[in-house]
Amino acid sequence: MALSGALAHGFHTFRRSVRTRVLVTNATNNVVRFENVGMRYGAGPEVLRDVTFTLPSASFHFLTGPSGAGKSSLLRLMYLANRPSRGIVSLFGKDVSKIQRNALPELRRNIGVVFQNFRLLDHQSVFDNVALPLRVAGGKESQIRKHVSELLQWVGLEDSLDDRPSTLSGGEQQRVAIARAVIGRPRLLLADEPTGNVDDAIAVRLLYLFEELNRMGTSVVIATHNEALVSRFKHRQLHLDEGGIEYRQNGADC
Amino acid sequence: MLLRRSDLPLSNDPAVRILPWVVGLMVYLATLILAVALLVSTLAADWSAGLTGTVTIHIAAIDDETDAELDRRVDEAIRIALKTPGIDSARAVPAEQVAALLVPWLGEEAPVAGLPLPRIVDVQLARDASPDIAGLKARLEAAVPGAGLDDHQLWRDRLVDFLFAIEIVAGVMVVLIGATTVTVVIFATRSGLAVHNEVIEVLHLIGARDEYVAHQFQSNALKLGLKGGIAGSAAGLLTLFAIRYTAANLDIELFPAFLFDVWQWPALISVPLVAALIVRISARYTVLRALRRMP
Repeated sequence: MALSGALAHGFHTFRRSVRTRVLVTNATNNVVRFENVGMRYGAGPEVLRDVTFTLPSASFHFLTGPSGAGKSSLLRLMYLANRPSRGIVSLFGKDVSKIQRNALPELRRNIGVVFQNFRLLDHQSVFDNVALPLRVAGGKESQIRKHVSELLQWVGLEDSLDDRPSTLSGGEQQRVAIARAVIGRPRLLLADEPTGNVDDAIAVRLLYLFEELNRMGTSVVIATHNEALVSRFKHRQLHLDEGGIEYRQNGADC
Repeated sequence: MLLRRSDLPLSNDPAVRILPWVVGLMVYLATLILAVALLVSTLAADWSAGLTGTVTIHIAAIDDETDAELDRRVDEAIRIALKTPGIDSARAVPAEQVAALLVPWLGEEAPVAGLPLPRIVDVQLARDASPDIAGLKARLEAAVPGAGLDDHQLWRDRLVDFLFAIEIVAGVMVVLIGATTVTVVIFATRSGLAVHNEVIEVLHLIGARDEYVAHQFQSNALKLGLKGGIAGSAAGLLTLFAIRYTAANLDIELFPAFLFDVWQWPALISVPLVAALIVRISARYTVLRALRRMP
C-alpha cells in the first residue's frame, strides 16, 4: 500500500489515542533547552562548542549542516546517548545532569528516535520491533498488540507484521523505524538522516509523515544534509557548522 | 524467573552454548566431592562415637604358654581394671571375635586359628568419669606380663585430624569449582554483552532499564545453568550409586557403607539448584556492572 493511502487509511484511529498526550505536552513550553553546551568524545577535540538553543513544544526543526558538523552528536545529546562535556542540557524542563541515572529510562521513553541506518533488530519480526518500546515500558500484551497493529496499518505495513526487517525494502525499513520511534507517543521525535537511504519520492512522503506526527503535538527534529528537501518544507532550521549553531528561517515559516 | 520471550538472540551465542557443559561438569565434580565430604563426616562421627568412652587392654601371647595360663593373665587384667575408680565394666573379647577382626585383612580362608593372637579386654568407662588411665596402665604392666593399654586417644586424634583435613580439602575444592563456574559465567556474559552491544544500546535508548536487559541475560543463564546442572547432578548421583554397588560387592567391612543420612540427600540434590542460582546471580551482576558504564 502506498504511504499516502496508508496514512489516510489508519490515521484517525491512531490520532484519537494521541490526543491526550498533546494536552500533557502543552504543559511544558520548551521541550529542549541547550545552554552553552560543549561536547567532546574522550580526550578528543570539541565537536560541539557553546551550543545554545531552545525547541518549543510541538515545533518542527531541521538540523542541517555539512557532514562532520556535529549533527549526530547533537542528536545523541538530545536522546541521552551521551552527556555534554560542559553546559546545561534540559529536556522537558529538567536539567539532565541533575537527574538520577535510574530516572533516565523514564525520560527516554518520551523521546522517539529514528536512528541513522534504522538499527532495527533483525532477529525479530516487524511487529516485535515496533512493539519493543511498549514492552520495555512494561505494557500489557493485549494493548501492545492493538496499538502496534494500528500503527503498522497507519504506515502501510499491515501485511508485513511477521516479516524480518532484512526482507523489507529501504523505504519499508524506514517506516518500521519510524513506527518504533512513535509507538510510545513520544513528546520529542528525533530522526538522524532519515531520508539518507531512500529516493526523493519516498523522502518527501516520509516528511509528510513527520508533519502528521508534529500536528499531533510531537516536537520533531530531523537531521539532514539534504538541502533540496529542507527548502521544500517550510520549517525552521538549526544550522550547525564547525561545532557552533545558528537559527535559520525557512520560507513561509520565517 | 524464566523468560519466555527475549529481545536478545542469546541462544545463538557460542560462549553461551558452552555454559551447560561447564556447569554440568562443575556440578558433577561438586556432587562427588560433597558426597565424599558427607561420608567422611559420617564416618568420623561413627568412629569417634565408637571409640569414646572405651579403652582396650591387650595381652600378648607368650611362647609355650597354655590357654589356661593366658586366661589367668586375662582375668588378672580384668580384676585390676574393675578395681580402678571410673571403670564401668571390663570383658574379655572372645578369641573367635578377635580372629574375626582379621578377616577383612587376611580373608575368610586364612588359617587364623593357628596364629598367636593377643587377647583383648574391652573396658567401658563410666559416663562422665575421668579414670586414672595412666595409673591403670602402670599397674597392668607391672602385674600382668605382656599387658598393654590403649586409650585410642592418639589414633583418634590423628583420625579426626585426617578426616578434618579431607573435609577442608573438599570444601576448598567446592569453593574452587564455584569460583571457576562464576569466572566462566562472567566471561560468557561479557562475550554476550559484546556480541549484542548494538541491540543493548537500542534497548537502552528506547528506555529499557538496566534490570530489563539484565533479566534477559540472567533468565537465559538460569535456564542453561539448570539444564547443565541437572545433567551433571544426575551423572554424579549415578556415579555414586555405581561406587556404592561396587563397594557392596567387595564386602569389605572397613569400607564405609556409602549410605547417606536423610538430611544429606537434600544437600546432594540441591547442588544443581545452587549452581544455577550462582550462574544467574553472576550473569545479573556482570550485566548490571557493565551497563552502569552506559550514560
